[in-house]
Amino acid sequence: MQMTAQAGTVSAAPRAKRLWWRDVVGIALIAACGAAGYWLFPDNLALLTRIVAVALLVLSIDLIVGYCGVATLGQAALFGAGAYAAGIACVNGVTEPMTLIAIGAVAGAVAGLVMGAIMLRAHGLAQLVLSIAIVQLFHEAANKASAYTGGSDGLAGLMVSPLFGIFEFDLWGKTAYLMGLALLLLVFIALKFVVASPFGMLCRGIKQDPLRIRAMGAFVFPVLLKMFVISGAVAGMGGALAAISTQVVGLDSVSFELSANALVMLVLGGLGTLYGALIGTVIFMGFEHMVSAINPFHWMTMVGALLIAVVIAAPGGLSSLFERFSASRGGKA
Amino acid sequence: MQTILSIAIDALAFGMVLFIICIGLSLTMGLMRVVNLAHGAFAMIAGYIASYAARDLGLGYAVAIFLAIIGTIIISIPLERFLYRRIYGSPELTQVLMTIGITFCVIGITNYFFGPTLKTIPLPQALSQPVDVGFRTIAAHRLFVIACGAVVAGGLWYLIERTSFGIKLRATVDNAAMSDALGVRTQVVYAISFAIAIGLAALGGVVGAEFLPIEPYYALRYMVTFLVVVSVGGAGSIPGAVIACLLLGFIDTTGRYLMPEFGNFFFYAAVILIVCLFPRGFLGRAQ
Amino acid sequence: MTAGKRILGAAVGALLMSSVSAYAETIKVGIIGPFSGPFALQGKNFQAGVEAYMALNGKSVKGHDIEVIYRDLPAANPAQSRALAQELVVKEKVQYLGGVYFTPDAMAITPLLAQANTPLVIFNAATSAIMNTSPLVVRTSFTTAQTTHPLGKIAFDEGVKKAITVVSDYGPGVDAENAFKKAFEAAGGQVTESIRMPMNTTDFSPIMQRVRDSGATGLFTFLPSGPPTLGFVKAFNETGLKQAGIKFYAPGDLTQESDLPALGAAAEGLKTSFHYAVSHDSPENKKFVEAATKAIGGADQLSFPSVGAYDGMHVIYKMIEATDGKQDAKKAVDAVKGLSWTSPRGPVRIEADTRHITQNIYLREVAKGADGKYINKEIQTFADQKDPGMPTQ
Repeated sequence: MQMTAQAGTVSAAPRAKRLWWRDVVGIALIAACGAAGYWLFPDNLALLTRIVAVALLVLSIDLIVGYCGVATLGQAALFGAGAYAAGIACVNGVTEPMTLIAIGAVAGAVAGLVMGAIMLRAHGLAQLVLSIAIVQLFHEAANKASAYTGGSDGLAGLMVSPLFGIFEFDLWGKTAYLMGLALLLLVFIALKFVVASPFGMLCRGIKQDPLRIRAMGAFVFPVLLKMFVISGAVAGMGGALAAISTQVVGLDSVSFELSANALVMLVLGGLGTLYGALIGTVIFMGFEHMVSAINPFHWMTMVGALLIAVVIAAPGGLSSLFERFSASRGGKA
Repeated sequence: MQTILSIAIDALAFGMVLFIICIGLSLTMGLMRVVNLAHGAFAMIAGYIASYAARDLGLGYAVAIFLAIIGTIIISIPLERFLYRRIYGSPELTQVLMTIGITFCVIGITNYFFGPTLKTIPLPQALSQPVDVGFRTIAAHRLFVIACGAVVAGGLWYLIERTSFGIKLRATVDNAAMSDALGVRTQVVYAISFAIAIGLAALGGVVGAEFLPIEPYYALRYMVTFLVVVSVGGAGSIPGAVIACLLLGFIDTTGRYLMPEFGNFFFYAAVILIVCLFPRGFLGRAQ
Repeated sequence: MTAGKRILGAAVGALLMSSVSAYAETIKVGIIGPFSGPFALQGKNFQAGVEAYMALNGKSVKGHDIEVIYRDLPAANPAQSRALAQELVVKEKVQYLGGVYFTPDAMAITPLLAQANTPLVIFNAATSAIMNTSPLVVRTSFTTAQTTHPLGKIAFDEGVKKAITVVSDYGPGVDAENAFKKAFEAAGGQVTESIRMPMNTTDFSPIMQRVRDSGATGLFTFLPSGPPTLGFVKAFNETGLKQAGIKFYAPGDLTQESDLPALGAAAEGLKTSFHYAVSHDSPENKKFVEAATKAIGGADQLSFPSVGAYDGMHVIYKMIEATDGKQDAKKAVDAVKGLSWTSPRGPVRIEADTRHITQNIYLREVAKGADGKYINKEIQTFADQKDPGMPTQ
């Protein structure tokens, strides 16, 4: 996969044209990889669908960590908000899958608004801890409201009606995967436009130097809050997709563990490129699945070793390897 | 009144356990700027060593603590040399990735060698009996923990504020390049303070085992608690850490007494409130 | 699906599994459980139970070799649970699913069963309502209501008129609270206060203070097996509640054998009710414990999930016998309805209507065994206990 704008630098105008081409190639590659997954692993579609759902979550984290420089270990709060909203709507009779995704997006966006409003009051470590506290509160609330959420037993019994009235969500999970993949592609393309827009540039500017942006006369808080809402909508769609494809929503979808894992995947792949988010998710979850199938008892050591190895070999994340590669081939641009 | 006193003393003991474990993390994060999520893993390693020494070898409690601290530091030396040294000065998220990786490895390895069962560290007779403190009985061990916490706080304050090593450490933290130029061997300073932090984690892991039992998942189970305590106190500040531990211990304990159903709500709502009021922690260092 | 694709899929599967590809007659059984993470011990017990059964009863039924495939699900995670079940059914072509430690994980699998034509034999997940979600589920463990129920009467008979309940704030905890309350109040007692504490509670002293202040003479509690139980029991002793004569009742999750070496003297005298104690005195259990100890690699790691797995394998073997290797979930489940046998835990029966196991519940007391190790000593038997949690919901 190709790299676009580099993590730290705001790209100069003359390069923009070439980058645009790179994005088309990149998106085509993602579509190709997704289709390849469908043909190569027809028996693992449930896993692949889970990867797609988590990829949406990781993308949403990249929006605020990679583009705004806001550290978060609580993104699962937004994912869970989407999952529970879709789940509760489904149990109460709204079973059309596209509607459920939309409900998830709205719920995630609202949760993102709340979370952003709180988190943007602090910086650095304090911000990180706020995000943890928020996800723990969401978790506790979901556990307490067991009349609506099923509590720790999970919200079961989601009967999603067939997509477009034709394609059923069944054991083999073809519908769920293809719908998820299409959703992921659409979201990815939309996000590419968002981050390349003046708004996206402003966010990156804030990440680099909030003081200077303020001096230029821009308001930092509303800009970042807007990104939080977008990020929440993306995470919420991921949650809704997970709810639709598994037909159960559990407390794990609003857990600190999921947030932390997702952040690890993002850092593994590389920040601030959107591609890194996808690479990180696929590599982490694929590797975890593989080693835990080979040795269900002691695979954690292997995953730990992978993370350490990546930090040593590619401190900027896996996607920085591609960057380095293309830089060495292209020479001075 | 009796109830209030009783809760206060429980809160104090619990807060002190948190303090002993977290102060090491506060040092690494505040002074060395390393987000060491594997901190709890070292406390856990110490717990395993102490448990092995005291239960399987039948050594005394004091000896077990000593061995655990030394053993953990020895284990940490190669880790510091080969892994941590690479991430000094790296972006925080890279440090997170590395230290979570280390945590996973430690969990996997302990699970492999020691199995997933709970390990206890047998207390000596003197510490295991309940002591009557007038208004209620309290385990002697809790008093011991409180004393340990006080000694650690005092000792660290003295080390950092009053000794020449403390001066070098503070100089290195403020400006590593300049200190280096002035003849401070910053690598050595880092290595020593890392060892001190690990030693404190080890001590906390062993004396706190009655509160936070030793098992392979320890390192992840309490990671959030440790991180929260450190940031509420302000990374790098000893008095800040003391205040944070006591306050959070108090909120946690009273919350659980008054409204156990909403214990977590209390705790995290308080954390949000404190962080919003003191964005750098109670006594955090200005960046 | 074209032949080429299938071959490719199989090749990838073989690569991932790194196992010898099986020949046609092998029947595969997929076991999902927590083999790593905080509940790894319970998963290990699943494995020990399965291996013990296969060691004692052979690795084939009617000439069909049986291959067990383990999949790790470290914590409650329905999405992953569903993905694993789907993979086991579609890719590994398992004919039977087993295991499952947590309720939400089971709930995620049950909607798949009819389509997959696969029965699910639950080795642990203990919420009554699971059984309603699919007719292809059979359970060989227990429900929290089932193991708790007798305690209400026991407590009342021992002279406790006012009791306080303290449970972990999650599904099984609430189930236990309700079951005890119902039984205790039916016997004539009164539950004065019910406390639910967050799952991640580590310091229980304030809770004990609450218990002391409530004036109750009996304490009923439920905590999930593992680290918190240690802190709870210690706090009970250290805050002087034990000396004050407050009676302590809990289902046996609290004193599972693998925690006893750690709990040690602190737990001595605690009374719990449960369906199985490793120390149960019967020839079946002796054989089982010997085989399972060998499988798990240490006597002090063995506890109740192993017997759920052992009996689960018994049920699966019976299903295979009935279907003679053909994949027919309905026939398999029908074959074990009403099945009764002597398990290591005592006489048991699969109820035809609920597909849940009916068994003895024992009142046990933590005491020193003959070899000086702590055991759950059975002191009273409540025969033939069905799941009382079933009719409601």
